[in-house]
Amino acid sequence: MQSSRTTADAGTAVEGFGGAALFTIFAIVAGFAVEWLTAGSGIVIPRWPVNFLFLAAFASGIVAVGLGMRDRPVVAWMGGIPVGLSLIVGLALLSFIGGFLPQDPAPAGSMVARLRLNSIFSSWPFAFVAFLFLGNLGFSLLWKTIPFRPANLQFILFHGGFWIALSCGLLGSSDLQRLVIPLYEGQESGVAYEMPSEQPLRLPYSIYLKDFEILEYVPQFALYDPSTDQVIDEKSRMVPEVRKGARAVWPGIVSATVLDFLPDAVPGKDGNPVLAAEGHKGVPFARIRVELEGQPAVEQWINGGGPGINPQFFPVGNYFIVIAPGQPKAFSSSVLIRGNDGQRRVATLEVNKPVDFQGWKLYQMGYDEKAGRWSTMSLVEAVNDPWLPAVYLGFFMIMGGNLLFFWKGIKKMEAA
Amino acid sequence: MTLVEFPAIAMAAVACWVLGSLLQIPAGRSKPVAVFSWTLFVGGSAVLVWFLVSYWIALERPPLRTLGETRLWYATLIPLVGFLVEYRWGIRWLKYYCIGLATLFLGINLLHPDVFQKALMPALQSVWFVPHVVVYLVAYVLLAASSVAGFHNLWLQYRNKSSKVSESMSHYLALLGFVLLTFGLVFGALWAKEAWGHYWTWDPKETWAFISWLAYLGYLHLVARKTRVTTLQWYLGLAFLVLLVCWFGVNYLPSAQNSVHTYSG
Ligand code: HEM
Repeated sequence: MQSSRTTADAGTAVEGFGGAALFTIFAIVAGFAVEWLTAGSGIVIPRWPVNFLFLAAFASGIVAVGLGMRDRPVVAWMGGIPVGLSLIVGLALLSFIGGFLPQDPAPAGSMVARLRLNSIFSSWPFAFVAFLFLGNLGFSLLWKTIPFRPANLQFILFHGGFWIALSCGLLGSSDLQRLVIPLYEGQESGVAYEMPSEQPLRLPYSIYLKDFEILEYVPQFALYDPSTDQVIDEKSRMVPEVRKGARAVWPGIVSATVLDFLPDAVPGKDGNPVLAAEGHKGVPFARIRVELEGQPAVEQWINGGGPGINPQFFPVGNYFIVIAPGQPKAFSSSVLIRGNDGQRRVATLEVNKPVDFQGWKLYQMGYDEKAGRWSTMSLVEAVNDPWLPAVYLGFFMIMGGNLLFFWKGIKKMEAA
Repeated sequence: MTLVEFPAIAMAAVACWVLGSLLQIPAGRSKPVAVFSWTLFVGGSAVLVWFLVSYWIALERPPLRTLGETRLWYATLIPLVGFLVEYRWGIRWLKYYCIGLATLFLGINLLHPDVFQKALMPALQSVWFVPHVVVYLVAYVLLAASSVAGFHNLWLQYRNKSSKVSESMSHYLALLGFVLLTFGLVFGALWAKEAWGHYWTWDPKETWAFISWLAYLGYLHLVARKTRVTTLQWYLGLAFLVLLVCWFGVNYLPSAQNSVHTYSG
C-alpha cells in the first residue's frame, strides 16, 4: 500500500500517534462526562429534516475546511492516518464495551446506567468518536477525490461507501420505524404497536389475514429419559424421522420400527386413529413395533398430542418412546393489504421474504407459539426506513471498492 | 453419509496427512516419493470434501448450522491454505501447522459428536446463508494462517533469519482475509435486512464482527503508515485473538444472553 505524496507528508509532518491518541481519549472522556452529568440520558438523534440538514452542514463543512484550509497543519492532521487509527481503536474499545456488557436496561443510578455502558451505541462518547471518525474519513476522502485520479477509485469507493453507510445509518436511525401488527385469521387490522412501549399507532394501510400456515419438518421419534430431560442417543446418532419402515436402535435398551404413520389424524372410537377431516386439527400418529431383548415384540400406536388430544407414549423401563413434533420449516401468512388511497395487494408473507408496500417492508415475524401449528394469530413486523437507499448505496460502494482492493492486492501479490 | 461414518473418515484424512508428512523427509531425494506424498496430502483433503458433500446431501441443508459443522469446514479448508501457500511462496512449514489445526478440529468433533439434525430454522433458509458463512469461514482460515505466519516471522527475526517472502506472505494472507471479512460483514447486513427487518442491530455477534473488522482495518492503516515490520507481525499474530472471541467466545460473554446468532452447537 502506498500513500499519496501530499497527504502522507502533511500527515507525518505534524506528529506521530501520541497527539492523536490523546485527542481520541479526550473525546471519549468528554463523552462519558456528558453521560455522567446527564445521568446517562444518551444522545437523541433529531428526526427528518433536522438530521438531514445536520448531515448536509457537516458534509459542507468538511468540504469547505478541507479545500480552503488544507495547508493548515491542524487540518492536515485531522485528516491523517494517526488520527484515523486512534479513532479506529477508540471505536473498537467502545464497541468492545457494547459487545461485552449486555445492552439491556440496568437499574437507574447504577454506575453502568449513569455512564450508559448498557446502551453504548446511543451514548455521547460513541457519538463523539463516530463524529470525529466521519470528519477524519471525510477529509481523507475529499483529498483523494479532488483532484480525481483513476488510481484512487478503490480508495474513494471504500472510504466513501463507509462514510455514507455510517453517517446515514447513524443519523437516519431516528426515522426508522419498526412496528408490530398482530393479525387474526379472518380479521382486518390497521393498528400497529411500537415496541417495547406498546404504544398503538394507526397505519396508512390495513391488512386482512386470510390464512396463517405452518409447515413442519417430519416428526421424529426419540427415547426420552424423564429423569434427565434428555433423549438417548440412537445408534447412528440421528434423531430418527417417523416414516413408514423407519427403524431405530438404542443399543442395549430397545429397538423400534414404524409400521404405519398418519401425519394428520385424530383418535378413533376403537382406539385406532382416523385421518383428520378438513382443517388442521390432527396430530401425527405412528404405529410402532417395539422389540425388547428376550421378549415378544409389541405393537402400539403412539402420538405427539395437541389441542384436545392426549399424547401417547410407549414406556420402556424408565424411559419413554415418544413422537416429537417436527420443528417449524416455514410459516407464512396470506394477506390482503389495502392502502388508505385504495391500492390493494394480495401477498404471502414469509420469513426471509418480506413484501414491499408503499415504502414499508412487511415481515412475517411470529405467531402464537403456545398454539404452534394450530395458531390462528400471526405477528407481522412493519418496517419503514427512509434512509435505507443511502445506506445500501454505501454498502455497494464498499463492495465495489472491496473487489478492486482484492484485484489490486492479487496483482501486487503476483508482482511481489 | 452420516455421522456414523465420520470417525472412519476423520481417521482416513489424518492418516493420509501424517503419511504424506512423513514421506516429505525422503521426498527431497526422489521425485516419485514427492509426488506420492502430495497425492496423500491432497487425498486427505479430498476425503473430507467428499464427506462434506455427501453429508450436505444427507442433511438436506448446508452443514453450516452448528459449531461442530463449522469446525468440519475449517478442518477441510485450512490444510488447503497451507498447500496453496507452499505452491505460491514456496513456504513449507505452514502446511504442517494447518494439518495440525485441522486434526485438532476433527478431534474435537470426534469427542463432541453433533446430533444429526435436519431441521433448519426458517430465518436460516436464505440465499445469503451459504455465501455469508462460507466467506467468513474462509476469512477465518486465512487470518488464522496470517497470525501463525506473523508469529513465525517474529521467531525468524529473533534468530536473525527474517525472510522477506515470509513477511509478504503474512501480509497478503491478512489482506485477502480482510477482503473476505468485509464481504462477510456486508452480506450479513443485507441478509439481516431480509430476515430480521434491520441491517444492523448491534447484536453481540455483529458487534464482535465489527470489532474484528476494525482490528484488521487498523492493520491496513498501520501498513499504509509504513510501520516497523516487527510491530506489524506482532499485530497480525495477536489480532486473531479478537477473531476467536467473535467465533467462539461470544457465546460465553455476558452480552450473549439475547443473541440471535449464537450457534446451536
Ligand atoms: C472506516 C474507517 C476508515 C477511516 C477512518 C480511514 C481513514 C483513513 C485515513 C485518514 C487515511 C489517510 C489518507 C491519506 O493519508 O492519504 C487512510 C488511508 C488509507 N485507507 Fe482508510 N480509513 C477507513 C477505512 C478504510 C478501509 C475500510 C480501507 C480498506 C481498504 C481503507 C484503506 C486505506 C488505504 C489503503 C489507505 C492508504 C491510501 C493511500 O495513502 O494510498 N481505509 N484511511
